[in-house]
Amino acid sequence: MILFPAIDLKDSQCVRLKLGNMEQATVYNADPAAQARVFEAQGFEWLHVVDLNGAFEGRSVNGAAVEAILSATKNPVQLGGGIRALAHIENWLTKGLARVILGTVAVRNPDLVKDACRLFPGQIAVGIDARGGKVAVEGWAEASTLGAVELARKFEGVGVAAIIYTDIDRDGVLSGINWEATIALAYAVSIPVIASGGLASLDDIRRMTLPDAKKLEGAISGRALYDGRIDPAEALAILRDSQSASRSARLTR
Amino acid sequence: MRVAIIDYGSGNLRSATKAFERAAREAGITAEIDLTAEARRVRTADRIVLPGVGAYADCAAGLHAVDGMWEAVEEAAIDRARPFLGICVGMQLMSDRGLEKTITKGFGWIAGDVKEIEPADPALKIPQIGWNTIELRHAHPLFAGIPTGEQGLHAYFVHSYHLGAKRPEDIIAVADYGGPVTAAVARENLAGTQFHPEKSQALGLALIANFLRWNP
Repeated sequence: MILFPAIDLKDSQCVRLKLGNMEQATVYNADPAAQARVFEAQGFEWLHVVDLNGAFEGRSVNGAAVEAILSATKNPVQLGGGIRALAHIENWLTKGLARVILGTVAVRNPDLVKDACRLFPGQIAVGIDARGGKVAVEGWAEASTLGAVELARKFEGVGVAAIIYTDIDRDGVLSGINWEATIALAYAVSIPVIASGGLASLDDIRRMTLPDAKKLEGAISGRALYDGRIDPAEALAILRDSQSASRSARLTR
Repeated sequence: MRVAIIDYGSGNLRSATKAFERAAREAGITAEIDLTAEARRVRTADRIVLPGVGAYADCAAGLHAVDGMWEAVEEAAIDRARPFLGICVGMQLMSDRGLEKTITKGFGWIAGDVKEIEPADPALKIPQIGWNTIELRHAHPLFAGIPTGEQGLHAYFVHSYHLGAKRPEDIIAVADYGGPVTAAVARENLAGTQFHPEKSQALGLALIANFLRWNP
């Protein structure tokens, strides 16, 4: 079970939005590369980065900040926001990204996901952002009629490395992950699912270790890590310790 | 109804307070959740909750260190027979003695000692940290309506020691961790859980609501 700390980039700064609203941004660190180093020092093993301006404009906007992050950390980095063409994907993977996250383009053009997975196996993740179970696109400003599970099933057997499922109604408001919807998605597809949006406290971290959540690959945490509601050391210890406990408990069955 | 959660410097009690407030609200029970370090507020409370994390000896010393607190707990739980819930080491303190680090005297309400868990399988780590199902040994109002057994709800454990109760009737639930470990004890108006109801999601909230309704 992986806990992904999140860096959301707006105007080259590390911010958190509330419910995806660009006007409600809180700046947590003006130096995203320094933030990446902090997360690595805290013991995290992955980094989740979102180019918020990019998500709205449909092209990478905070490229320089992302490159600074890549030089600052040894941890694998996944990036989403505004990446919508094979050339963009290739460009970013060449620069050292571990995974590229396709969001809007995956809804509009699922064939591109297929092509990308064939060209870059294991390095393409799909971000599915949903409100009330329906997929949202264009930096969450638009809603569609497509169901989240329906979209996820389109990528079965294509070779998608992970699905990052964000419940928009909960993102950045610390009301707790929508575990029911996220776990239901994880059982509906064979692609690993990462929970995102609203991780609020250590209760959510413990919830990740409940047996019914074992199909999840992990969860992304943003605001709660920045404002101290989730203590990184304690969270990582809970995940590490209960993982070994459940593994050994299974062995004895 | 005022529920005193005893604050004697053992761990972060915010999650316990929040869980009791939420359980009361969701069950429609009017209860004032009173996180308190004052003996007189414990003595006069309608229900008593004694949390505890860490070592038995440290928790006992911590409780004795608050002026009049140990006696206030005895007065409320025994003389006034108020419903009492011990959580984790708070439950262990209901025993005769704790054998962790040194021999420490407990309240002596549940006959037996608190001793190290000894999983039969060496692959099982100590402490037990994480979710486990529980098996009821006796029906008890605290577990009313809660699915238990292998297909039941999970409880959240963090412990290396458990209460080896001498009287089988005092043990109301066990968990399987390479053999049975004591998960819950009860006698008259006194009850305790080795697991953390405040961290146990659905099972925990249901158990807390049952405790708030309990009329022993």
